[in-house]
Amino acid sequence: MTREIQSIILLLVGIATLRISWGTTYLNYVKESMRPWLLVSGVILVVLGAWLLIDAMRARPASGASGAESGTPTEAADDGHAHSGPRAAWLLLIPVLTIFLVAPPALGAYSASRDTTNSIATDRSMAPLPPGDPVTLYLSDYVTRAVWDGGRTLVGRSVSLTGFVLAQPDGSWLLARMQLNCCAADAFASKVRPVNIPPDAGLLPEGTWVTLTGTWIPSEEVGTEETIPLVDVAGLVVIEEPTNPYD
Amino acid sequence: MSGQPTAARRRLRFGALEILAVGAVVLVVAQPRLVSMFDNPALQTAATVFVSIIVQALPFLVVGVLLSAAIGAFVPKSFWQRALPANRVVAVPVAGAAGLLLPGCECASVPVAGSLMARGVAPAAALAFLLSAPAINPIVLVSTFVAFPGQPQMVLARLVASFATAVFMGWLWLRFGRAKWLRMPERTHLEGSTPFHTFRLTASHDFLHAGGFLVVGGLAAAAMNVAMPSEWMESISGNPVLAVLGLALLAVVLSICSEADAFVAASFTSFSLTARLAFLVVGPMIDLKLMSMQAGIFGRAFAVRFAPTTFVVAVAVSSLVGWWLLS
Repeated sequence: MTREIQSIILLLVGIATLRISWGTTYLNYVKESMRPWLLVSGVILVVLGAWLLIDAMRARPASGASGAESGTPTEAADDGHAHSGPRAAWLLLIPVLTIFLVAPPALGAYSASRDTTNSIATDRSMAPLPPGDPVTLYLSDYVTRAVWDGGRTLVGRSVSLTGFVLAQPDGSWLLARMQLNCCAADAFASKVRPVNIPPDAGLLPEGTWVTLTGTWIPSEEVGTEETIPLVDVAGLVVIEEPTNPYD
Repeated sequence: MSGQPTAARRRLRFGALEILAVGAVVLVVAQPRLVSMFDNPALQTAATVFVSIIVQALPFLVVGVLLSAAIGAFVPKSFWQRALPANRVVAVPVAGAAGLLLPGCECASVPVAGSLMARGVAPAAALAFLLSAPAINPIVLVSTFVAFPGQPQMVLARLVASFATAVFMGWLWLRFGRAKWLRMPERTHLEGSTPFHTFRLTASHDFLHAGGFLVVGGLAAAAMNVAMPSEWMESISGNPVLAVLGLALLAVVLSICSEADAFVAASFTSFSLTARLAFLVVGPMIDLKLMSMQAGIFGRAFAVRFAPTTFVVAVAVSSLVGWWLLS
């Protein structure tokens, strides 16, 4: 593998990293706190790539008029290494191409339907809800409060929840949202079951993003990690996918 | 000897650049078709998981290669002779304890360990560092503390079990390891004209090399992530032995960054604490992306012996430590 190709791959990986972290695309894959690290890494890779390219271009006149890339002793040694060494570097084009050409979307209904655990048991005492009418809550927060605290902090409050439509085999749908610990490889889902939805909202296609306003109502189930709490819907708005698609 | 191979090589090289250029054009033209190929939700999820593993690991890999390049370019070989005890049996735990100092995840420690070996550090000591650094550094311990509220013994158990596994593996290598299994990184071609030149060449080379193998591991982990049925997990959680083995295998398959794995382990509430400890000890030491990177950096002969042995030792040590500290 020549220095030129090495430098092009470094540049491409660096540019792809900058491209996703400059805007908001990176939020589909990792948490917001990763952004500065991604930007710095992107810059470092671009600098390394550009430097290597300059090296290779400088080395060229010394190697004769033919314009061949090689000729200096170091380059020749590098060539001998190419068959065992960073040939693997070609593989780095796979994520670059995936980012530029396919642009994988944030995890959605497919992952949510595979995750059967809805919330982790906790005996942490729940703080009262912040002020607001309705008060905007993360879906995971609502689920934890409803399942593990008996809805105590939710009684009498109007809440606003955002998530996507997750179709159920019986024709109904759940409101779901994914949450990341670190990256999309460790994502898990939170789900609530809306009741008394407006009749036309029964036909929303899977994956549609909606914001529900409503109130907590108790269900007769005993709280387990699979329990899906209920929300009595007062209002429903279809929205665009949020900038940060995760909870 | 001189004429033809050179010509052939030149043609081949020219071909590589050409492939890159033609490939780029074809891909840009075919892009809409490619995107529609990814319409399948399972494939799309795998692609998202794959990209996110790479994106998450990338900054750590960059830090790792910069650090390893700095070790190669600026730290004189004599430093390591002074820093580490001459007695290799003692050097192993010292190097293992040095793992406390590298605040990174496992992707960073592979190139650093390779660079240490190239600078004359005994392989056994470098391997102890390789295993302990991603598992016991401060960031990982703090995130474990946060992920297991009210259970600080989990932090202690993780520290003890990971350190013990790393040291034991170092000593095993000292006793049974063969130098020929290790394909020591060949670095003469990376000697630049100045230390800065060497630094730059090494960093570029190591990133491309380790990054390529990270991609292989990321692809495998993403495929497993989507292909694995979620139900089998629940069915084994009741059996104490299967639970430990199951979560240890899951750690290998998922290839989660060691700085996040505590949160994932905490979510396996139906499993015993010991099983979750095994998940935390195995994950940073051996998973699909690490196996791939180790095979790339240290050679296949090394990886096929080292990876399974690490797995067995890590599971055994976690079970012991779990029985001692967590029950």
